[in-house]
Amino acid sequence: MDARLKVFAVLGLGVLASSCRGMDLNTIARGVTTAGGVAETVGGGVAKVKECGKLDVEPSVAEEYALGGALTIHFVQRGNGLMFATEGDKKLHDYLNIVGKNLAAQSLRPTLEWTFGVLNDTEQFNALSAPGGYVLVTRRLLMELDNEGQLAGVLAHEIAHGVLKHAIHKYTAQKVKTCRLVAGGETLLSALGAKALLAALDGDGTLDLDNEPELLAHLAEKTVNSFDDGNGPELEFEADQMAARLMLSAGYDPKDYLGLIDKMTDVKNQKNHPKKETRKKKLVAYLETLKGDEGEFPEYASEGLRSPPLKQPDYAVIKSTTGVAKDTP
Amino acid sequence: MGMKTSAALAAAMLALGLPGMAGAAKVGDPLYVKAKNTRVMKSPSPTADAVVILQPGEQVKWEGADPKQKQWHRVTAPGGKKGFVFQTNLSTTPPKMELVTDPGGKRQVDPKKFVASGAAVKALSPGAEKYGNGKKGDYAKAVASIKAMEARSKTVTPERIAAHVKEAGLFPVVGPRDSVAKTKGGR
Repeated sequence: MDARLKVFAVLGLGVLASSCRGMDLNTIARGVTTAGGVAETVGGGVAKVKECGKLDVEPSVAEEYALGGALTIHFVQRGNGLMFATEGDKKLHDYLNIVGKNLAAQSLRPTLEWTFGVLNDTEQFNALSAPGGYVLVTRRLLMELDNEGQLAGVLAHEIAHGVLKHAIHKYTAQKVKTCRLVAGGETLLSALGAKALLAALDGDGTLDLDNEPELLAHLAEKTVNSFDDGNGPELEFEADQMAARLMLSAGYDPKDYLGLIDKMTDVKNQKNHPKKETRKKKLVAYLETLKGDEGEFPEYASEGLRSPPLKQPDYAVIKSTTGVAKDTP
Repeated sequence: MGMKTSAALAAAMLALGLPGMAGAAKVGDPLYVKAKNTRVMKSPSPTADAVVILQPGEQVKWEGADPKQKQWHRVTAPGGKKGFVFQTNLSTTPPKMELVTDPGGKRQVDPKKFVASGAAVKALSPGAEKYGNGKKGDYAKAVASIKAMEARSKTVTPERIAAHVKEAGLFPVVGPRDSVAKTKGGR
């Protein structure tokens, strides 16, 4: 949830080593000889640099799945693995997926195959999403929740980031940046990697990341690094609003979302992230705008909203854990 | 907004792949089906028989709310079948287009065609799996656990979702199946 919040900093996503660093001009020179064509593109760098904006396109679903999978591997590795060992863990996993998939099936990307998982992290109150419909929440966050409405709020917020493609926009920015650097002669990639990236300028701007492992590694790690400061306020507000709409669609009382925001701790080491009081005020004001006029189709429900309890005994595996202190407000 | 005008605008938006522009709809206007397995019922009740089951992106003509069960709305479905749909199954906003690559090349498709294309089936991609298994440390362990998680997630079906929704008292939006049951009382 306030996801990107602390997690990225604490999980150390800012210290990822680029596996592609350390190449020198000799590497490029050799690549030019063997790969052909790259000499021309690197040599004509100025023209190519200007064209790199062509890579700022929506990726194909296959490209999104590859990127999302690579990012999720990082999140799981740095989040102390998945909570998925015991039969109790798996019942919790199923419950999370029932709640999450119900919301996602009502989103603007209803047929994407959404996957929800629990990180075995008992320290950070956090959730995050990766392209391709991956949503992860920390065990610590689940320990703090009071009802299913709050759980739905967490998942809806992350679904919203996925629907709005916030991570993908960071990725495409890295694509364009890497293209400009490579076209300008920087040695970020091998000659073959550079050729594959620049070749996308002659196509539709999408990349076949499954068959370009160097590009996948480079761009996934650059994208992960770009999360260090969290999403900017406007992106978080946008996700809050969509999350509230998803809750209303499924029948959850959005007051639980406000209660969820209350549980967050403002994170000082993420300069971009909005304060929770600001988020609450904006959300309350936004909910008022959803009341339709007489005679118009009432898209958002105002009656029959619920705040169901967390399903037991499926959730018990979380609540049975002890010894974890709350954040200092 | 008239049906013809709205439909033309909607078609243009779909063609352009725009995320959608929400706007007020009045009786007679088209609405988009929002949720998977949206049921058009014979009467305004979640336990009624389904007339037809629609998928995201399909359009219905809005005929107004039921006078007694105000969260159920009368619609005319594609093909002319009439029935009742729960309020939050419908939207003035079309679902997003997905960009798929298939033998026909790269193209934007609506959610229904996306499922039919097979591109909707997700598993950890070959490239991501190779990437994780090739990194030092416990990345390979993460790969294995993500694959196990994905396999388990696929067992969470619309039937299980619908059962939980009923138990929790939530809105009956996502139907348990994608076609009308053959037996009487099928929903």
